[in-house]
Amino acid sequence: MTNNNSDIKLIAHLLRRAGFGATKDELDKYNSIGYENVVDALIDNNNSQRINDALVRRYFPDQSVTHDQVGGGAYFLYRLLLTDSPLREKIALFWHNVFATGYSKVTNGKPLSDQLRMFRDHGLSKLDKLLLKLSKDPAMIIWLDNIDNHNGAINENYGRELLELFSMGVGNYSEEDIKECARAFTGWSIANSDYIKELAVRNSIMPYGKLAWRYEYKENDHDNGEKTFLGHKGNFNGEEIIKIICEQPATARFISRHLYHFFVADEPPVPAWPYKEPQDSEAIDILEKAYFDSGYDIGEMIRVLFNSEFFKSERCHYKKIKSPAELAGNILRTTNEFTEPSIKITEYNSQIGFMGQTLLNPPSVEGWHQGTEWIETGSLTERVNFASQQLGDISKPGIKKIIENIIKNEGNSISAQICVDKCLEQLGAIETSQHTYKILVEFAQNNGISDINLVNDKENATKKISELMSVIGSVPEFQQS
Amino acid sequence: MTTIKTKKSFLNYSHTIGICVMDGRGFMFPVDTAIGKNGRLHTVSRAYTPAVFQLRITMYDINSNFYGVYGGYGENLGEFRWPTGMASDKYGNIYVSDELNHRINIFSEEGKPIKYWGETGINEGELNGPSGIAFDSDDNIFVADHLNNRIQKFTKDGDFISSFGDKGQDTLNMPWGLFISADEFIYVADWGNDRIAKYDTNGKLIRCFGNRGSQNGQFKNPSGVAVDNDGYIYITDWGNERLQILDKNGNFIETYRGESTLSKWGEEYMDGNYEEAEPRSRSNLEPDPTQFGGNPHEESAHIEKYFWGPTSVKLDDSGRVYITESNRHRVQVYERSK
Repeated sequence: MTNNNSDIKLIAHLLRRAGFGATKDELDKYNSIGYENVVDALIDNNNSQRINDALVRRYFPDQSVTHDQVGGGAYFLYRLLLTDSPLREKIALFWHNVFATGYSKVTNGKPLSDQLRMFRDHGLSKLDKLLLKLSKDPAMIIWLDNIDNHNGAINENYGRELLELFSMGVGNYSEEDIKECARAFTGWSIANSDYIKELAVRNSIMPYGKLAWRYEYKENDHDNGEKTFLGHKGNFNGEEIIKIICEQPATARFISRHLYHFFVADEPPVPAWPYKEPQDSEAIDILEKAYFDSGYDIGEMIRVLFNSEFFKSERCHYKKIKSPAELAGNILRTTNEFTEPSIKITEYNSQIGFMGQTLLNPPSVEGWHQGTEWIETGSLTERVNFASQQLGDISKPGIKKIIENIIKNEGNSISAQICVDKCLEQLGAIETSQHTYKILVEFAQNNGISDINLVNDKENATKKISELMSVIGSVPEFQQS
Repeated sequence: MTTIKTKKSFLNYSHTIGICVMDGRGFMFPVDTAIGKNGRLHTVSRAYTPAVFQLRITMYDINSNFYGVYGGYGENLGEFRWPTGMASDKYGNIYVSDELNHRINIFSEEGKPIKYWGETGINEGELNGPSGIAFDSDDNIFVADHLNNRIQKFTKDGDFISSFGDKGQDTLNMPWGLFISADEFIYVADWGNDRIAKYDTNGKLIRCFGNRGSQNGQFKNPSGVAVDNDGYIYITDWGNERLQILDKNGNFIETYRGESTLSKWGEEYMDGNYEEAEPRSRSNLEPDPTQFGGNPHEESAHIEKYFWGPTSVKLDDSGRVYITESNRHRVQVYERSK
């Protein structure tokens, strides 16, 4: 194996985790600048010029408004497929799962889409800044009832989840800390709160469709009294609470585990974390240090993560099961079906839901449980069918291009083994187990690709290669990351 | 460009028609309005996937009297998938373009489906995303064939006559709405070029108005255009979420951001829904626009009376101006000031 191949395989691994995969053509471009520069480009660039918001709004007024989770989800998928800054969408997906906020209660697509935009814009910035944005986020204020958190009559839902699920994790604070935290966030509300709350409860669209929501601080409803929080005493408002939270080693550890869980290897679901040590404590230590060294900067933590040996190690390659959004994103970026917004994106967004991940509508505040929980009988069938149909569809420009790339330098014929190698290479430098590889070569032998004259019978060759691509879509190494 | 100072407003807000509902009386993402015979108004709702059952054309009049709905989702007679433009011929029949089925649908003035025509393609006489439509005085129909970046002229039964706008310099870029003036000029909302293009009946480009921007006389992705008998040009400046008015020479006259009040249908809804009406009465639905970073889309999302997604402007014989707003599910009506 040459160094160049090693680099490409490593960059392919990076792009599967930091983005939504990359084809050989894309990998060749990335490889020309080197691994560390690719990491920097992913973190530092925010190029989304191919995303045509005006055309989305022209074709899809519901996505213009982001009327509900259908339009909002389809727009998210459109961005994910067209962006040249895949990490921006990936980090939005990450926080969408950590700070899970759902349409089932919010009943308005725009605040949810606004929240995703906030994650996209600030998800790689410092945690204290992000938590402040989150605490002022209208969708979150409705989702976790801070709209009902009043001076003298607290609702501790947001205060509890801020500590339990968003920053520190169970076991690192007391019930009294939760109450004091809630007191500090009294008055953090939204404008027209009574009306908006009523509209949300009734899922009303009248008279003129859904209104956008905006944060409003209600000073008269804020508890200015002294609070004791995590051993600190003062007349804290929400800003001070967030500052104290971000100073905690528990927060550094919790966020580090989340990043490891999402980008490196599947950990147990979050509720099990207080009882199960991380599978790689050394890696978590490295990320915790990066958290404090950078002043809680998520982008810098991720830079350390992507450049670390524990991330680069082949031990973690193909050890994560792609979420439905990651799987569909990888496939649809490969097929390159979309250069413009299309009605098909809405259909594909529905299919992501059938696989178990309805974007903008996570099942609970815990988000989607990941890892093997993505796989159950129904969802596995959906995943395999979707991948196989798309990768075997020669009408898709990306598939057509891949097959042309395979055929063009092979002369008159191609062996089954080389055909498998080329397909795996074109689909993103995919490595397989010996077992999988053997099955693929056997399939290619049986479908007769080696018997076909590539020059004289290009149509038949294309069909045979597409059949092989279709099978590759179903193998574990493609379904994993 | 000269700006003409007017002492009083060129238009006066009259009232709003509409309510956002999934079926029946009201609209769901309406995109255009046709003015039919005897003051009958027809507004087509584009709805959205997967709620395609909400697609329909709603019939009503200036006083918000409701006369029923017709049309629906599909590819058969009387059905459409992406309805976009509407126009009425001299007999009062209603024509509806369909960007996804690439055809023109024809309904009677009462909404009975009559026929449809249109073949998909890029050759002359074929359609690729028919958008805005308008009739000339001979009842020939002009179609903004938006993905072919041209205007095509047909008989009302679909026989091809001519096409223009896609050749030479200053070609169209995804045109949307269009209008045939009384003096037989074709005005096109040249959406992708952020301007209004004026052609003669031979398809010769006479001139263009505006360029990209948010200043007076500039546009961002204009969606609709209409010209009154005095030559004043009304433009739904869609990307800037406003209505602009120019004089016949292109001089800026006035711009409107929208003044919607509660429609009759909206009032009736509120009368029966105290739980919403009461907190609404205590709400500020006109927040300070400066807090939205100068983004018209966001301003309109938060300020209910503003135009949000103004997709078409139509004029009636009485000088009324109808602005259809896709994102607010309503039609705002204005009148020329006396």
